[in-house]
Amino acid sequence: MHTDRYEHMEDNELLERFYSDRDNQWLGILLQRYTLLLLGVCMKYLKNEEESKDAVQQIFLKAITELAKYRVTYPKSWLYMVARNHCLMKLRDRNQVLSVEERFELAAPESDAKELADKENTLNLLESALEELNPEQKSCVILFYLQKKSYQEIVSITGYSLLQVKSYIQNGKRNLKILVEKKQQRNND
Amino acid sequence: MTDLKEILNSGEELSQEAIERYLQGKASEEERFAIENQMADSAFLDDAVEGLQGFKDPAKRDDYVEQLNRQLQKYTAIRLARKKRRKLKEQNWLVIAILGILLLCVAGYLLIHFYSVKH
Repeated sequence: MHTDRYEHMEDNELLERFYSDRDNQWLGILLQRYTLLLLGVCMKYLKNEEESKDAVQQIFLKAITELAKYRVTYPKSWLYMVARNHCLMKLRDRNQVLSVEERFELAAPESDAKELADKENTLNLLESALEELNPEQKSCVILFYLQKKSYQEIVSITGYSLLQVKSYIQNGKRNLKILVEKKQQRNND
Repeated sequence: MTDLKEILNSGEELSQEAIERYLQGKASEEERFAIENQMADSAFLDDAVEGLQGFKDPAKRDDYVEQLNRQLQKYTAIRLARKKRRKLKEQNWLVIAILGILLLCVAGYLLIHFYSVKH
């Protein structure tokens, strides 16, 4: 099966096809979309190229078996969870404890965010919400979104570490969304 | 300040080629921003990019991806062939069972017919 032919199909559509005819090749097309990302996730945790490759193979086998057993609504987030758990188990077997911060995919509420962006007064609310962020988050958000600086450039400008820059942008973005939603709700009341 | 609105959008789905260009430092400014913007939203992409940057040789990384994709294709094809074979086997048993029942019916009929003619 040539995967390019199915480029237009969403992940969920591929999964639906699999659930209707149980043809594993649909899963093959779906999983192949994430080979590179899965290899990256495994490499991040395991820090070993060969071991990461083997881990991705095992994740594929696990995904094929598990997806046949029950329905999954968000395959991308599900695959990430499977990969991360697999790596953490491997690390536990090695007696290596890793502090992993809990982070969630924000893929699901994306449509809400788009709706929010379309509202006319959102820009004004965003500007005032930006002032309410803490100085670190505010400077990183401005450098990234308004001045279009890369992560690396922000590291050099601010002197923060790459991890800090990422965290300030992620948290700043999340806080801005929350602040804008609150302000909109207040305006509506 | 209109760029501020991009904070609320996560952007389009990224292609593997765009991610590879980003890893090689060859992505355009637009692509670079799109990827880093999604990294702020997606822990999956963020972890993946961090891990992929840990590969010493990008060619080896690409080779691994190819190998994994080939194995995946083989695996999904084998599983399908097995499933088909199992289905065929099940169908064969069904045909044999039907033929057996038909044979028994005919034998029974002939037996009854034979006895009724004899008496």
